[in-house]
Amino acid sequence: MKCMRKILLSTISMVAVASNAAAKDELNALVWCDHTDPALIEPFETEHNVKVNLREYEGTGAALALLEQSRPGDWDVLVIDGIDVFRAVEAGILAPLAVDELPTADFFPEVVMAENNSVDGVTYAVTEKFGYNTVSYNSSKVDQSDMEDLSTIWSDKYNGRISIYDYYLPVMGLAAIAEGIPTAKIGSSDLDQIGDVLSIMRSNAASVAGVVAAQTALATGEVDIVVGGGEWLTAVLAGERPELTWTIPKEGAVRWAQSIGVVEGSKNSDLAMKFINYIVSPEGQARLATSSCFWGMPANAKAGDILTDDQKAVLRWNQQPDYLALTQLYPAPDADLDAEMQDLWLETLQQ
Amino acid sequence: MMRALPWIYLLVAFVFIYLPVAALVLFSFQSGTLPVPPFNGPSLQWYGEILSDDDLMAALRNSVAVAFGSSAAAVILGFFAAYGLARYVLPGSALIRGILIAPLTVSYLIVGLGLLIVLTRSGFVLSLLTAAIGHVVINLPLAFAIIYASMGSQQQNAERAARDLGAGEVQVIWLVTVPILLPSIAAAFFLSVTLSWDEFIIAFLLTRFDVSLPVEIWSLLRSGLSPRLNAIGSFVFLISITVVLFLEIFVFRRNRQ
Amino acid sequence: MNHAKQRIMGWGFVAPALLWTMAFFVLPFVVMGAMSLATMKGRTLIWDLSLANYLELAEKAYLWRAIVVSLEITLTVTLVSIILAYPLAWIIAFRVPKHWQRLALLLSILPFWTSYVVRSYAWLLVLAREGMVNNTLISLGLIGDPITIANTRFATVTGFVHFFVMLLTLTIYANLVQLSPNYRRAAMDLGANALQTFRHVILPLTLPGVVTGAFLTFVLCIGDYVTPQILGGNTELTVPQVIMVQLGRRADFPLASALAIVLMGIVSLAYIASARWLKLDRL
Repeated sequence: MKCMRKILLSTISMVAVASNAAAKDELNALVWCDHTDPALIEPFETEHNVKVNLREYEGTGAALALLEQSRPGDWDVLVIDGIDVFRAVEAGILAPLAVDELPTADFFPEVVMAENNSVDGVTYAVTEKFGYNTVSYNSSKVDQSDMEDLSTIWSDKYNGRISIYDYYLPVMGLAAIAEGIPTAKIGSSDLDQIGDVLSIMRSNAASVAGVVAAQTALATGEVDIVVGGGEWLTAVLAGERPELTWTIPKEGAVRWAQSIGVVEGSKNSDLAMKFINYIVSPEGQARLATSSCFWGMPANAKAGDILTDDQKAVLRWNQQPDYLALTQLYPAPDADLDAEMQDLWLETLQQ
Repeated sequence: MMRALPWIYLLVAFVFIYLPVAALVLFSFQSGTLPVPPFNGPSLQWYGEILSDDDLMAALRNSVAVAFGSSAAAVILGFFAAYGLARYVLPGSALIRGILIAPLTVSYLIVGLGLLIVLTRSGFVLSLLTAAIGHVVINLPLAFAIIYASMGSQQQNAERAARDLGAGEVQVIWLVTVPILLPSIAAAFFLSVTLSWDEFIIAFLLTRFDVSLPVEIWSLLRSGLSPRLNAIGSFVFLISITVVLFLEIFVFRRNRQ
Repeated sequence: MNHAKQRIMGWGFVAPALLWTMAFFVLPFVVMGAMSLATMKGRTLIWDLSLANYLELAEKAYLWRAIVVSLEITLTVTLVSIILAYPLAWIIAFRVPKHWQRLALLLSILPFWTSYVVRSYAWLLVLAREGMVNNTLISLGLIGDPITIANTRFATVTGFVHFFVMLLTLTIYANLVQLSPNYRRAAMDLGANALQTFRHVILPLTLPGVVTGAFLTFVLCIGDYVTPQILGGNTELTVPQVIMVQLGRRADFPLASALAIVLMGIVSLAYIASARWLKLDRL
């Protein structure tokens, strides 16, 4: 009898513990580092009493490989580069998105980017944030006027004072723009010309750096210019170091945009939709825009009601119409051209 | 001057060795958001931030769990393998030894890459368990080598005596072999824990959401320049040297007497 | 009968460790080898048993340059670390009073216990243009303007040497204290001075230990991703960095596997070169 009681008690307590643990729904999201800011995630977790599991990733290729190797239901939400949405759709990774439920009417019109976010008329993702890959610099150490022209940004004058942002697509896009080649029209035959510009950049650069390395380099005075930088790089530092700033040269620059969507096969698609709704709501957008990893412009213009004037000044809120008109999207190469571009990039790094 | 040369060298060496640690600890008390000179007055804000960072503290607990778990497994497997090879004549024992030691010569990145390929293609979900498996792979050879090297004739005689007195195999191992070999078993365990605790690349490749401390620190490194990194580094350092000094004073000193 | 039972018991003890190693080390290694013979077309994996990846290694400059860079850095680090660590180990073993030796040794390896990732990051801040080293050099009047040390090969080598000096001090010290003082006494009695004693007696006797330490340094250094990634400024890539690029950006497992196999090949060559003195199973 005593034995039976023990077994019964332990079973009950185990079930209690198990059901307690199962009480909280979980959302698995594969994201960029700006989504890991607790200030962004915690309000959502508290309001819906859920746990959001986040995994950051490096490049789209890795994310797609990871998702392809996962089982259906392993992942619920994906944040992906706007120009790579079609790749994810091709790989069967994204589920159709009920875009009518989302406030896209409030977005800046140029960044709705319906063509990029949908395939064959079906929408799979929605833009959540955008910004520019242009030039970040230390205004107390360089000539402002040099920063307004692409050809003088990475000139010999600043030899050893430059860092190049370590992402081949926007930097090669900048090189193309400097040569007068529209980013949408880059082809195999242009790679030689682009390669020459990259060589010049590289020979004058002290380093090729990721987000934090570039921030560190600017902040410690290691370099004074970051090619491919932008508000996303320096806004975080602007509070303490107002001399670290950015601009868009007269020839233009490259515009980045990140989209968010629901993963095909997700077992929590309702919760995933709620999460996306939160992200594109004005409050979510304001937090995402000023997230600790990197800042950027919110896709939803209504976030402007929530952002402070200082934050908007750092983001150059009022100049956005001009900037949007002046900038081009990332190059969107097919698989073969992409491989060639990546090879050219790695060749440039090793010079 | 010649007399003092060794001491000058010692001093310079120690300055070199402690330079990054000094910079780390100093700027963990930075008041301000950038861990670079100039140093603005001491502030504990960053320690406060990391201690209240749930992800970081969870990663710390994960690291301890993985380190102790994988080291225990490595030491147990290594002990039995060493015992088997030392006490019994087996065909191809040199080959067996070679296979067991082999992972020592392979870079962690390669071990992690191989496991990543096999595990993901077999449909396993990445987690702390898969990282722990990787850690056992790298620590097993060490545990085996350390314990095997310390199996000598002295303890073989003690085992023979115990068997003659009628002890079963299990009793012989538990009551004779293990106590005699305890120093090297402990050394193997301690070394495994140290290596697993700070190991980055295998944990990075083989975990998904729940990560170990080095991986979480790496994410921190990639998401914002801040003295938080200095704080967590100094914090880990502080815990580790406290443990080491504790062991040194209370355990190893006692053994020597 | 007893003989067979003995055998079975022996196997019983060894089997778990052996099975673990076969399943989680040997098997992945074989699979990785097979993977290196496959190709990645876009994002589909094709098992076509071709040497395409290895040919790519020979053709593409950035790939074989990575091998050259890795070798240059690793050999430099190994040499410099031994040269710096040996005297340190010597001083602790023979000049520091006996009961302080353990403490001295402990102090010289204490920084091991700061997180490896954070320690590399700390070197970045120390070597920065506005960091400690430059500030000191300027205040001492040795240089006028700050010099660029961070994000260079020098920074990577410094970060590595820092780690391996600690490791080698430990291993060389362990070796030195095992030496019977009789050897030195005998040499002195026969009229040798300190230098001769070192060259003809101590050095040959400690060579196995030094070579083992050097081999460990070589393996750990050439396979390391963290230090060059944080300190090198991506101005030149080492093999581990190129492997991670293949994984992180292109998910090109076949090419990454081929690079890994090549890395293993280099380590094997190092093993063969030092096999005469290596006693890995007698650590």
